[in-house]
Amino acid sequence: MKKSIGFLLSILMILAVFSTPLSAAGQQDSNPDAKELVYWSMWNETEPQAMVLKDAIKEFEKSNPDVKVTIQWNGREIRKTLQPALDAGTEIDIWDEDLERIVKTWQPYALKLDDYYGQSYPSTNGKSFEDTVMKSLQAHLKTLSTDKGLYAVPYQPYVVSVFYNKDHFDKAGITSTPTNWDEFLAVCSKLKAAGFTPVTIDDAYMDLPLGMHLNRKFGNPDAVEALVKDRSGKLWDDPKVLETAKEFEALAKGGYMSEQVATNKWPAGQQEVATDQVSIYFLNGTWLPNEVMGTTGPDFKWGQFAYPAVPNGAGAGAGTFGAQGFQINKDCAAPDAAFALAAHLTSGKWDQELSANTFGAPMDTSMEWPVQIKESAAIFASLKSFVPWSGGLAADPDAFPIVKAEFTRLLAGQVTAEEFIANIKSNL
Amino acid sequence: MKQSKSMMVLFLTPALVTFATVFIYPIIRTVFMSFYYVKTVTDSFGKWEFVGFGNYGKLMASSMFIQSLKNLGNIWLWGGIGVFLIAILFSMILTSGVKGKSFYRAAIYLPNVVSAIAMATMWIQYAFNSKYGLFFQFFSFLGMDNAAAFQWTSPDNQFYAMLIAYSFGMVGYYVLIFMAGIEKIPSDYYEAAKLEGANMFHQFRHITIPLMTDVFRTSIVMWSISTVAFFIWSQVFSPLDPDVGTIVPMVYMYNLVFGRNLTLTDPTLLNAGAGAAVGVLMTLLVLLTFSMVNLVFRDKKLEF
Repeated sequence: MKKSIGFLLSILMILAVFSTPLSAAGQQDSNPDAKELVYWSMWNETEPQAMVLKDAIKEFEKSNPDVKVTIQWNGREIRKTLQPALDAGTEIDIWDEDLERIVKTWQPYALKLDDYYGQSYPSTNGKSFEDTVMKSLQAHLKTLSTDKGLYAVPYQPYVVSVFYNKDHFDKAGITSTPTNWDEFLAVCSKLKAAGFTPVTIDDAYMDLPLGMHLNRKFGNPDAVEALVKDRSGKLWDDPKVLETAKEFEALAKGGYMSEQVATNKWPAGQQEVATDQVSIYFLNGTWLPNEVMGTTGPDFKWGQFAYPAVPNGAGAGAGTFGAQGFQINKDCAAPDAAFALAAHLTSGKWDQELSANTFGAPMDTSMEWPVQIKESAAIFASLKSFVPWSGGLAADPDAFPIVKAEFTRLLAGQVTAEEFIANIKSNL
Repeated sequence: MKQSKSMMVLFLTPALVTFATVFIYPIIRTVFMSFYYVKTVTDSFGKWEFVGFGNYGKLMASSMFIQSLKNLGNIWLWGGIGVFLIAILFSMILTSGVKGKSFYRAAIYLPNVVSAIAMATMWIQYAFNSKYGLFFQFFSFLGMDNAAAFQWTSPDNQFYAMLIAYSFGMVGYYVLIFMAGIEKIPSDYYEAAKLEGANMFHQFRHITIPLMTDVFRTSIVMWSISTVAFFIWSQVFSPLDPDVGTIVPMVYMYNLVFGRNLTLTDPTLLNAGAGAAVGVLMTLLVLLTFSMVNLVFRDKKLEF
């Protein structure tokens, strides 16, 4: 026993003696040009997006042996943790979150990327990077920053549209999607006649149809923001507001809304569509098919159309869209490597992988959109102007919940158009 | 004696210093901050802008903050009455010598062990859902179609739905406290009362209630503190933006400091200083409740 312990100890000693020069030799072998990038991610490690990003980063490290990427999976908590960390001087080279949020909130911490957009990268197939990124997103990015510069690299774009079940439309004999409000009501009527419940929505998206409708009526989000910020209530007397309310009242009166609409807590309404009980989801982002994929399976026949033009409105063509985006720290020690990584993740193969794995939209203009959201590609391409999320209704945090609650009652047929306006005015 | 005093100082100093750093300093800083416009929590002092009572004025002028106070008041009062009455009833039954006491006690306490997020999601999706939820199934089974069609989570009813779900989870906690209080009362009192011909109600009225005063006082203070911190249930009932029926001061504060969950908050609306003011007001509210409770229950200390 004693002998064996002595033997073990001597082996350990020998190892200890030789390991010192070995490790020193190891240090000498390391690359003096090695760069380390720290990436703070908005994803949780188990999300499909994270899985794809992880593989993509591994491949990037393989083809760029001098770059080592350290990932910290923050999840959506990054909204709260990023800025304190940056203020405290934590080394973070690249981060991601909602495109609008990162540019509007963290532009002062970010590197201006205009020069990098002009260059080509292995994943851009010989084209310059700016030729692979949707033009609408680039234009949008510039409007978000204070100096019309490019302060982020977008990926996973989305567009808000009306989602429908193509099978229901076929069975109801509907051959084309509605482009204006009258056609929309006619579609609802046909669906109802065919035995379907035409329309539903959840509490989480309830503000979208009203915001979009008012944008179509007034022609711009500023008017909607002014309306919701008006404490005197005078702007609510505008005949256009009553027209809007009347048009939604017609949906409720026609019996076109799901009976559950007032009580739908997300994702109950989405499930109504996914389980074939309702034909149309009023408005949602391109992520909807992925969110309900567990219920529908990949073969559900999804269709999309843009929010219809409204009577006496300023025409269609405006829509809500956006993306996630990567941002690079202005103090990053290896900005070239950081941008090369962002380009690697958002164009070519890995953009396609991300799109395929999340049934989301690709950012690279040369890529195919997944079949479930294919019709959204045309909607995206046809957009002429940007409508913020909620169409500007969320501009006033005090009035917004009141408007949303009354709109829910209006859609559910619990109040008339006139009561809708009167209730908002009295509660403001 | 002298030596022991210096030893006390020596041993207490680390604890006092730690307490001062992690409690006193943040409290003072928060109170101080509530008089400034501070865009984000991590802004250095140089960026703070003195506004006096401006933040408090803004809060009082905000209809949603007032609404959040109303909701909090209703949770405190109606939730409190409901939880305490049910908890007293259960603790009376469980201390009356009923069989399987420890099983029932564990079963009633169980909701406290489950995470609040899981509980709230369960209530929303499996109990309140007006298409296949528990209440729908139950009332449909009884043939009460109007009750079955009740829209629990609509804007008109969601406050009550949230209150019921929250209170359900809180009962078990107070049952344990009340049971401990009742079991501490010597059984001789009840026996003597029985011999004198007192029924259950008389015993409860004249023995249990007076001897439980201290327990009630502590429980009311604890209930007040936990309702002021009401946050998770509101967040799960309206995860993206608070609704009129679900907003509470803590959610209002969260949105002021960190912005909204999905919609991008106009950066000019972010105000950590006003968030600090909400925190100060809530602390004052708890202190006020504490003194009111002490006033109501004063001089009633009984020893037994």
